[in-house]
Amino acid sequence: MITQLRLELLKLIHSKGFYLSFAALCAFVLLMLWGFYSYAQQKTNGLATEQFKYTYESRSYFNGLTFTLYSLVFAFSLIIPIFVAMSAGGQIAGERRAGTLRMMCVRPVSRVWIVLSKFVVVAIHTYLLMAFFIGLNLLMGLLFVGWGNLDLYPGALNLVDAPGQILRDEALWRFCYASFSGTWALLVIAAIAMLLSVIFDNPVTAVASTLAVYLMLYIVGRIEFFGTLRSFFFTTDMDFWRDVLKPEVPWHNIYHYACTCGAYIFGLLLLAVLIFERKDITS
Amino acid sequence: MWLKFLLGVFFVLSLLGAFVLAPRHKAWRNNDTADITSDQDRSQDRRRLRLMSWNIGNADLESETRAHAEDLPAVAQVIRDNDADAVAIQELTGEDQLRLLLAQLENRYRGYVCSPGSADRVDAVLVKNGSGERDRRGRSFPDDRGVRFHDVPAGNRFAAAATFHLHNDLPKIVLVSMHADAFSSSRRRSFVAEVVDWVRGQPGNEIVLIAGDFNFEVSLRNKTDLFTDDAKHDSESYAYLLKYFGDLGRDAGETSINDRRIDYIFGPPNTVSLRRAEVLRGAAVGRMDHWPLLVEVAL
Repeated sequence: MITQLRLELLKLIHSKGFYLSFAALCAFVLLMLWGFYSYAQQKTNGLATEQFKYTYESRSYFNGLTFTLYSLVFAFSLIIPIFVAMSAGGQIAGERRAGTLRMMCVRPVSRVWIVLSKFVVVAIHTYLLMAFFIGLNLLMGLLFVGWGNLDLYPGALNLVDAPGQILRDEALWRFCYASFSGTWALLVIAAIAMLLSVIFDNPVTAVASTLAVYLMLYIVGRIEFFGTLRSFFFTTDMDFWRDVLKPEVPWHNIYHYACTCGAYIFGLLLLAVLIFERKDITS
Repeated sequence: MWLKFLLGVFFVLSLLGAFVLAPRHKAWRNNDTADITSDQDRSQDRRRLRLMSWNIGNADLESETRAHAEDLPAVAQVIRDNDADAVAIQELTGEDQLRLLLAQLENRYRGYVCSPGSADRVDAVLVKNGSGERDRRGRSFPDDRGVRFHDVPAGNRFAAAATFHLHNDLPKIVLVSMHADAFSSSRRRSFVAEVVDWVRGQPGNEIVLIAGDFNFEVSLRNKTDLFTDDAKHDSESYAYLLKYFGDLGRDAGETSINDRRIDYIFGPPNTVSLRRAEVLRGAAVGRMDHWPLLVEVAL
């Protein structure tokens, strides 16, 4: 079992997709840095303060922690899920496509463990993506934007309903928590992709289907027409990850949504395992 | 086999955990008009101020989105039933409707509408008359509450304000009734800033409250994740208000259709303490798209 896990890790490390995901996140951080920096310059110059008498946006508001928060919230919904879906969707279907799945299955390793070891590798990849992204943002923020406390206001990002502040050291811990809560939330997408990877023969189909399901529910969940359905979407439950970035962390809510995401993850994995066990592998 | 069993166990445990740890959503009370002061000390009661804010305009589907004259008897009934000391009303067509409303209130209130400025509708403020008689809560009022009305200039628009005494030995109260632009977050922001600055210019011994339809929504319900200028302007407006005031109706829930909380009553956090905040759902008549927000504070 350990050998199987080691082999899967080696495959991950040697795949181009693994490095592509980190490269794409680097590009996104650079883009965010340019956008944030120019926005901060514009908002702290004379023009903005002439138009309105009051603004909370000041040189102390724009700092590395605010930059990291904005970057993370934007990337979490639409950028990181793509790489998670790519990583998980290619696991079984990719082996089938490459013609190596049959060989794997004749080895003395249970099919259940094959699926689970691949999922563990996807989970590691997901955590690395989150941790790398947060770390890179903090580093870039520190070097190019500056350092300070994390000020939060209602409305923008919809994170709080009253103005609040998280002190710098506490905020760093909160980002550390966010790497775990974010990974757990993203594993729901990974589990869907894993299931579809078992069902479909083509990894592209598995990845595209996963993203289609995710994006459809993500977008539909943000349209008022479907307000009553919103609470039934896994995309709504996934949103819990950012509660750790609130001044007062609603732990009870976090546990609830983490359990809901857990039910999705384990339920989908169980289904994937059951289908994979009964699947006739002919390639 | 054991791996599948383990997955099944984790699945069931997660489901159970989600069920047991489900957040208990606060159920907003419906039109509960219970007299909450019945068990309160009378001396405490005389320091209590009951305020209402209500946009009595109509939903956009109507050709006339301002208040309808035929709705005014029902509006007056809600004000009387809730025994509000002062009321901020928005979206009246003009002084004629105010007179109709005051007549429906059997002249128990005095009222004022602001100048229309560039707007096609006006805000009004009503203050209960101090007739010397006792009200439904058993409080006696001085004959003269020293009511004065003013326009609050804010750009090319106005808000209405009333200054009055609840009792002669208590500080003066100023209630501002305002209606911020429904279509431009930038204009809302400027308008709010002007009104707040007017309020800040008032004598320090007066208790100033701002009530009305602010048309901004900063609740967590609206999770779009995207960063827009509109959201930013509204965030700035709300932050500016919270710099000087407390959001008294924060826990009362949505005040308008589509689950929106866009009507607010703001008060100074150090001089008033909140006793009750309630949205009177079910009070709207006809095609009104707002419910009245009722707030009771102790001075």
